[in-house]
Amino acid sequence: MANELKFLVVDDFSTMRRIVRNLLKESGFTDADEAEDGVVALQKLRNSKFDFVVSDINMPNKNGFELLKEMKADEKLKHIPVLMVTAEARKEDIVLAAQSGAAGYIVKPFTKATLEDKVNLILTKLGLK
Amino acid sequence: MNTASSATTAEAPQDIHQRLGMLTRQLHDSLNGLGLTDKVKSWAGEIPDAKSRLTYIARLTGEAAEKVLNSVDNAKFHHDHISAETRRIGALIVKDPVAAVAKGHVMNFITDVEEASKEIDKNLTDIMMAQDFHDLTGQVISKVVTLAANIESQLVQLLILTAPSEVPAKSQVLAAVAAETVTIVTEPILSGPVVSPEGNPDVVKGQSEVDDLLASLGF
Repeated sequence: MANELKFLVVDDFSTMRRIVRNLLKESGFTDADEAEDGVVALQKLRNSKFDFVVSDINMPNKNGFELLKEMKADEKLKHIPVLMVTAEARKEDIVLAAQSGAAGYIVKPFTKATLEDKVNLILTKLGLK
Repeated sequence: MNTASSATTAEAPQDIHQRLGMLTRQLHDSLNGLGLTDKVKSWAGEIPDAKSRLTYIARLTGEAAEKVLNSVDNAKFHHDHISAETRRIGALIVKDPVAAVAKGHVMNFITDVEEASKEIDKNLTDIMMAQDFHDLTGQVISKVVTLAANIESQLVQLLILTAPSEVPAKSQVLAAVAAETVTIVTEPILSGPVVSPEGNPDVVKGQSEVDDLLASLGF
């Protein structure tokens, strides 16, 4: 079931989007799309069905916090888990992400094992695995 | 001749000192007039930060290059081994196919290929992960560029203000430069990668600290 989940990878750096998508693929999650900021992410989330969002925070147009806030305020999107993958290492940002409803928080640079662990942990908690 | 020269030398330091005094006063008045005194103080604080950011970029790119080269070396080692083994097993099969299988050469080779493939795949993943420096250094470079653009913009404004009135042409040139110069860009609220987390209690130093913090909050 987990392998059929559809992921959305949100990051303004194409290199990072590619890395995260490849890592997800190596972990068996082959269905993934990408968006370069929160605006594009919201459009895609509203136009298609996604099961999991992996998002950066520091992005132009609409950052990860704004994306998270809008998702949680949207009845159709609020159930989708959002894993933040970011270079923001301030404790207040981590606390804010958790309080805003993020399902997990990974600080860059990260390893393949960390991403895999956090995704699996979230899926297990939600009963999707 | 010597006397005249000595007189000039004796007057020069006084003259220079006076001119420097005037310039300093002018600069001070101009900065106050522009409301830049606080900004100059903040630049002074930001320049060491820019230096540490550039050091961070150099370190990250250096580490990434090192990681990639090590992974390529490892992958090539396994690839060379498999290439050599393929030639050796090929020759054994041509010579005596039954013996090659019976003596376990073919089976050992298959095991070798499987192990080497795993190692090469790991090396390829490591090479891919090493590219994350692009994201991190990109964010830091963007901050340094913002700082440089702000300083440039303020310096041009300062030059316009302090340009002698007898050189209006220069002022016009500077005004044209100012028009092209990027206006002051405010720092984004988000701080981006932490270039020197040591001794900073407000930031985490790695994923384990993130996990501890979230666990302490009940997440």
